[in-house]
Amino acid sequence: MPDWQERITRETAPAIRVEHELRYAAAAPLVHASAAWADLGCGTGLAAAAGLGTPYAGTALLVDADEAAVEQACALVAAQTVAPLVADLTDSADLKRVRTQLLAAAPEGRRCVTCFEVIEHLATFAPLVELLVELAEQDDTSVVASVPNDAFWALENPHHMTAWGEGAVEELRSLLPADHVLAQQVALQGSALARGDDEREEVASVRIAGGVPTHYLLAFGPDAAMLATAPRVAQADLAEQRRWERQRESDLAYAEARIRELEASSSPAAPATDDGGDPT
Amino acid sequence: MRLAFLLQDLQLSGGVGVVVQHARALATTHGHDVTLVLTHAQEQEPWEFEGLAHLHVEGLAEARAQHFDIAISTWWETTFSLFELQADRYASFVQSLEDRFYSYGAPERNLSALTQGLPVAVITEARWIVDTLAQLRPQTPVRFVRNGIDKDVFASPRTLDVRRDGPLRIVVEGNPDVWFKGVREAVRAVGHMTEPRHLTVVTGAPSTFESSVPDAVVGPLSQRELARLYADSDVVLKHSRVEGMYGPPLEGFHMGATVVTTPVTGHEEYVEHGWNGLVVDWDDERGTARQLDLLARDRRLLHFLRTNALATARSWPSWEQAGTFMAAALAAIQRAPAPVADGARQLLADARVELELHRGHILERDTLRRYARVAALVRRLPGAQRLLGARRHPLARRLLRPLRPLARRVLR
Repeated sequence: MPDWQERITRETAPAIRVEHELRYAAAAPLVHASAAWADLGCGTGLAAAAGLGTPYAGTALLVDADEAAVEQACALVAAQTVAPLVADLTDSADLKRVRTQLLAAAPEGRRCVTCFEVIEHLATFAPLVELLVELAEQDDTSVVASVPNDAFWALENPHHMTAWGEGAVEELRSLLPADHVLAQQVALQGSALARGDDEREEVASVRIAGGVPTHYLLAFGPDAAMLATAPRVAQADLAEQRRWERQRESDLAYAEARIRELEASSSPAAPATDDGGDPT
Repeated sequence: MRLAFLLQDLQLSGGVGVVVQHARALATTHGHDVTLVLTHAQEQEPWEFEGLAHLHVEGLAEARAQHFDIAISTWWETTFSLFELQADRYASFVQSLEDRFYSYGAPERNLSALTQGLPVAVITEARWIVDTLAQLRPQTPVRFVRNGIDKDVFASPRTLDVRRDGPLRIVVEGNPDVWFKGVREAVRAVGHMTEPRHLTVVTGAPSTFESSVPDAVVGPLSQRELARLYADSDVVLKHSRVEGMYGPPLEGFHMGATVVTTPVTGHEEYVEHGWNGLVVDWDDERGTARQLDLLARDRRLLHFLRTNALATARSWPSWEQAGTFMAAALAAIQRAPAPVADGARQLLADARVELELHRGHILERDTLRRYARVAALVRRLPGAQRLLGARRHPLARRLLRPLRPLARRVLR
């Protein structure tokens, strides 16, 4: 069953949470080197809090279209100063506010912008891309952005307004400063042995080669070369995953039955049947 | 932004259709003021492209009186008029390396290649063009914007029907009189098939196409009619030698048809041999026929290729997405400093004069070639050598002088 969950919460599947955390971990050296950091499409802040590691010593500008998510993120992200901003990233006026607040947060020092899994949700991403490139070229700001590789599986995610894959990434790259850095996020699979209930830290070695990426990360601006590439692994909580998947399956079956019931009751000429089909 | 796209005309062609789609998206979705500037006098009524209502359509004379943020040429001959417009930035939307459309020795060949070196910003629709221009002009950034597909017109089915029997339904589209489209070669390849098949040729001029191989010759078709035809077909067959972004197979993919194609430029962007289509060798009509026969026999393979063709189509951008990339590319061009274009206008004017002179020379050469052929025939006639020798006698020369104008006229 496809997973169209677009907000990272504590219930999100571990593999997806790790994917999100890795992107923040990759950007962490750039974020920590900056006096101000804007996280565009911050969501609940869960992935940022886990991925950045140590508390951030600058001003974190947490930006999202969802006010409740921004509030949650402000509570979770550990930073010297946290500034919430509710903004529509397709709106030029809102983008101007983002820029103004980011520049005001660190008038002199370095700045960083992270923008993970946002672009594909926007009806028009041209103004956002323009802002990111301007910040990198004119305002001493490093940018790390990501887009999914939906094209490989031909996924038609109902939440994604645009289709992303290798071709679209090439189009995007042609708009970025020539010295941008491209990294391909690849999926890992593994297994481990546990003895008893003791919790312990293990270090695994993994050979990373080219392959089909799940996501593309693009970094540009003065600190782009600092993008980290260390992998991130987490133990899968199968009990939680099973509970979550079964809940979705049963919810779906329940909703379908309810729809059939409603359709039958709203059709005066046709009495309902068990399977919701034509009674003849 | 005020944008001007230069077109020679608004007749039915893939290249013009692409420009109209971008212009429409820029006007309707991104709020730009877009003018299509027609650089040639229009002898025919324009094709009724959808979306023209959102655009201004003007001649060069009207456009010269205005100021644009960016003026964009869309075909090499339109670059001659590019610098006649007043604009803050000049750009070329390169849809192919157009020198390849002309044969060796044709005056247009070198000149169209020359226009690739103009000091203008460049946007192109195909990665092979990006790569080529990067080698030819390493200092010039090339913005890459793929063509979209009209997902309302080429509306993909949710599920694909399995076609286990019946003849293999093949579509060949293109102008048979354009050498690089390879339409006649494709039709000949179908003629070599041994399995049951049904061939439809789509061309803008069906009356001029004579071949006993096709079961139907249709056209010109609107995009919606073409979509319906692809939906009823199994395979789009292409034997092209030159393509830009290579749209037709992709339109077929959207409607659940696979492709059998030569490895023409543009195919590498989305055709994968054995995955969503079959790639055949150049000049191998019998080999192509064998691949088509295979698809006609092996319906499991046909369904596999059609399934993946449809999946490829699903991840291809719509015109709305393509328009967003075009808007972003134009914004980047506006933001970047303008290339130094001093003298470009004069250069193009000189080049155009050179083109006309060259065309005159070619015409003269062809006329002289005809003279030479007639003269060679005359020399081979019995007694012609003696007669030609005798004409050098002073008396003969005096007698023949009044006949010279007549002889010239006959030879002509």
